[in-house]
Amino acid sequence: MDDLNQNPKLGSADRPNSYIGRSVPRERAKKLLEGKGKYVDDILLPRMVHLSYVRSPLAHAKIKSINTENAKNIPGVLDVFTIDDIEKVCSPWQGVLGHLGEMRSPTQYPLAKDVVRWQGEPVAVVVANKRAVAEDASELVEIDYEDLDAQLDMETAMDKSTKVIHDDLGNNLFWTRTVNQGDVSEAFKQSHIVEEVTLDFARHTGVTLETRAIVADWDSSEERMTVYHNGQAPHMMQSIIAKHLNITEGLVRIISCDVGGSFGIKVHVYPDEMVTVAVSKLLKRPVKFVADRLESYSTDIHSRCHKISGKIGVDDKGKILGFEIDDLSGIGPFSVYPRTSAIETNQVLNLSAASYVVPNYKAKGTVVFQNKTPMCQYRAVGHPIAVAITEALVDKAANALGMDRYKFRKINLIPDNSYPTKTPSGVPLEDLSHEACIEKLKKMMNISELEKYKKESLAKGKYKGFSIINMVEVTNPSPAFYGVGGAPISSQDGASIRLEGSGAVHISTSITEQGQGTEAVMQQIAADQLGVKIDTVRVTHGDTDATPYGGGTWASRGAGIGGEAVLKASRKLKENILNIASVIMQSEVNNLDVQNDQVIRKDGGEGISLKDLAQIVYYRGHELPPGTNAELIATASFSIEGIPFVFTNSAMGCLVDVDVDTGLTKIEKFWAVEDCGTQINPKLVEEQIRGGVVQGIGGALYEECIYDEMGNLTNGNMADYLVPMAYEMPDIIVDHVTTNSGRSILGAKGAGEAGTGGAPGAIMNAINDALIPLNTEVTSQPITPEKVLKALGKI
Amino acid sequence: MKSPAFSYYQAKDLADAINIKKSDDDSIILAGGQSLLPALNMRLSSPSVLIDIGSINELKKIKVEGSYLIMGAMCSHSQIMNNKEVNEKLPILNKLLAQVAHPAIRNKGTHGGSIAYGDPAAELPAFAVLVNAEIILSGPNGERTVSAKEFYKGLFETAINSDEILTSVKYPINQNGMKLFFDEVTRRHGDYAMAGLVGSIKQNNKINEEINLVFFGTGDRPNEAPKTCEYLLKNEYNYSDIKDILKNDIDFASDVSSSSDMKAHLSAILVGRMMKELN
Repeated sequence: MDDLNQNPKLGSADRPNSYIGRSVPRERAKKLLEGKGKYVDDILLPRMVHLSYVRSPLAHAKIKSINTENAKNIPGVLDVFTIDDIEKVCSPWQGVLGHLGEMRSPTQYPLAKDVVRWQGEPVAVVVANKRAVAEDASELVEIDYEDLDAQLDMETAMDKSTKVIHDDLGNNLFWTRTVNQGDVSEAFKQSHIVEEVTLDFARHTGVTLETRAIVADWDSSEERMTVYHNGQAPHMMQSIIAKHLNITEGLVRIISCDVGGSFGIKVHVYPDEMVTVAVSKLLKRPVKFVADRLESYSTDIHSRCHKISGKIGVDDKGKILGFEIDDLSGIGPFSVYPRTSAIETNQVLNLSAASYVVPNYKAKGTVVFQNKTPMCQYRAVGHPIAVAITEALVDKAANALGMDRYKFRKINLIPDNSYPTKTPSGVPLEDLSHEACIEKLKKMMNISELEKYKKESLAKGKYKGFSIINMVEVTNPSPAFYGVGGAPISSQDGASIRLEGSGAVHISTSITEQGQGTEAVMQQIAADQLGVKIDTVRVTHGDTDATPYGGGTWASRGAGIGGEAVLKASRKLKENILNIASVIMQSEVNNLDVQNDQVIRKDGGEGISLKDLAQIVYYRGHELPPGTNAELIATASFSIEGIPFVFTNSAMGCLVDVDVDTGLTKIEKFWAVEDCGTQINPKLVEEQIRGGVVQGIGGALYEECIYDEMGNLTNGNMADYLVPMAYEMPDIIVDHVTTNSGRSILGAKGAGEAGTGGAPGAIMNAINDALIPLNTEVTSQPITPEKVLKALGKI
Repeated sequence: MKSPAFSYYQAKDLADAINIKKSDDDSIILAGGQSLLPALNMRLSSPSVLIDIGSINELKKIKVEGSYLIMGAMCSHSQIMNNKEVNEKLPILNKLLAQVAHPAIRNKGTHGGSIAYGDPAAELPAFAVLVNAEIILSGPNGERTVSAKEFYKGLFETAINSDEILTSVKYPINQNGMKLFFDEVTRRHGDYAMAGLVGSIKQNNKINEEINLVFFGTGDRPNEAPKTCEYLLKNEYNYSDIKDILKNDIDFASDVSSSSDMKAHLSAILVGRMMKELN
């Protein structure tokens, strides 16, 4: 690669400005803590109007008529629109991709057309001078519905007697896939022990602190659409808005301000957001829509909703011979545009058993429609299901053999010296470290002490259990994820970096910030590679007019892909700086370096500050010899080539107490050892892991979108939908193994989703370990106290 | 989640507040606003006027009068938790209030607000019923007192007339060596309980002479359990008997947090905990 001899080694902490690998405090944290963040709802534009959506109160019904007259008569109301108005300026879409076999999802309109298909689907929109007025008027929009049977249960979706949601499709099937490697039935025949289990995962959602929000501002003079949007992928939104609103793509500008959490919730196309853009085009003025918490619960994408059966066969030595899963998932009435709602199931098929050597593997996934909120990709897509089914079966097999669970894993884990290799499903793997991670985890957890603690507690009538699990995490995807299937989603990211006249360094990156520290990471890479103080570096992101083109922040790709682009651009800029300095300083390039904002001579002697150098270039260029290449700006791009994803791996464990009187589970401690390659900022990595674990705890113990038999969401508020809160959270102890990715100079992989992917399996296994003396188990998440008591036969 | 339009009136004193209340049936008293304001934003309620009683200082006092502790309606939960006299005379209130939501909510939420709102899952109404607190209501015709046992009529239904304001609550300071118990089962700290219990036992020579139980989060109001109390006076605690008798006492109503079976089970477990702790 372009390895100049001036380029410092990564992670050499003894040289000045070696920021990669250090927990540098991030300045943005202070800004957010002081309440100075700027979010979409802070945007106030002249002539801006506000929207309130009239949403379907029913899960499935025909729209017989809509009367907007009374609503239009409320003072302050500008207009009320239905699909008849909106479809004149906004075309419908279809959530299908071409690379994963046949997907069957019908055309989805920005507002319901003729039929409503989930409670919360937008049917009409009121435009008013204030949101409160729009809400007043919303109550006066009269919609006459004719009830249709609601198809709610994914398990009966394919029954003949079940209502078909989309008549044209003939049944409720969206997508199905099978994977077959080796001969799994023969493997089970050869097995000494065969274990089976069926697990359920409820629907839950992302619950971002800042809800979805958008301001669209159509300037008819320039035919230009400016959109302030708290999303994760500005260039994707640019392309989609241009396409469906029929605007020249280059004239659509997406600006993402501060974003208060995303978790994958904000990377999809939502009907109410597209309608907001359409209303701006219709009215030729700025339009704001901020989802309130109630509509967030019924319209933000939901996730999970799986029932998965699994089977494992092992020989008498504990070697896994075969592994089989059958997964069913319900996705609501539409596959979500443009990423589709097939990806979670696809991940389950790809990732089950992925940490282990499994010679025979079979997997089947079935995805069906329901009259519930659309389901799509949320943090750790598919991972919690794949990890939980795998690790539940691994524990069952070990227990059936009477073998220590750690030892069983050691026998079956993919050895650290065997890469490159493939998952049992056939996906390429490289640069992983399962053995090193589980060794480190075992030491951290002090397993023999835990066994003792368990035994002593049991003697006092207390049920404690612990777990150890292994997992892989999909990060840094290549074009194989979405682009190959036809979605306008860039797998490449870019960075541009410039030295300014003041000596300041300015990066612009296509990676976005949602609160996780993107800016800090990019600053650290640039300062480290250029040899400047971190305060010297500023970052611009989240503006399609001002940043390079790229994918944005999702799938744990920001540091690994966007960071590499910053690294490459920084090295190019440094090369330019040194070449210019060699002319000014009359010195060989090899004798020069940049440290602390100065070009220095390695052999001593006077240097020159970057500020002075920049001012010679910009203000007094005549002092340089004619023809000097005096560019103080450099740009680079990066995307993953040659493999579909850069996998990472982790080992996790937890210790729980199960109160057999109340059914309450208390997590006493949680441990994680992860390998994300180069850590740019260890503290940010650890907080990603911890935050991920907390969200995993949410899925495992608390979070669930509860529907009644009519398809009403019954707990769509912050009191009844339980998110994990600080009081219940255990200490989460994090450590690392570092195996750099060979796909980049930086060597960084992703770290954002491992915790969420691993914690649900770790928690369920620990609870079931605690329940062994009582001869029962839990198999349904969230593992509520009621489910525990039912398993115990107490209620 | 924007409330419908309403007027706001800051009452100068109690008489002023009562006057306004009397003049407008659709007006509503604003105390700490911790239940009312979310209800407005969710458009579950659309009052004409919010009468803010937050600047009436006489409602913010905590007093001891003889064998009574008197809480002004506008005392915040935090104020009560930090009050020396309350912590000496009725220490269980501190333990109970620590389970009411979170500090920010306890700083704004008021004693009178919680008693008057009558949420069946709330701790304070159950405690008031347990000790049969006297609830003082002021209206155009002056003051009247309703005992807590007579105060709760049904789901969010109380004895307050539309022209009255709850001004204070009088708690008997623990008389005759009555021992008090409080516990609840929640999935997260600060949540409404799946089931909760406040109870009391009076003993003579280690023999139980009187037992009182009031459950919350179990039905449409604070639920007393007279048959269970009677059983416990005569018999040792036994989980399955207690669960059966509780089902006779209380019409356990499931909610989004737990089923009626779960509530009956947890109630029986809580009784067991109480008998263990107080005996």
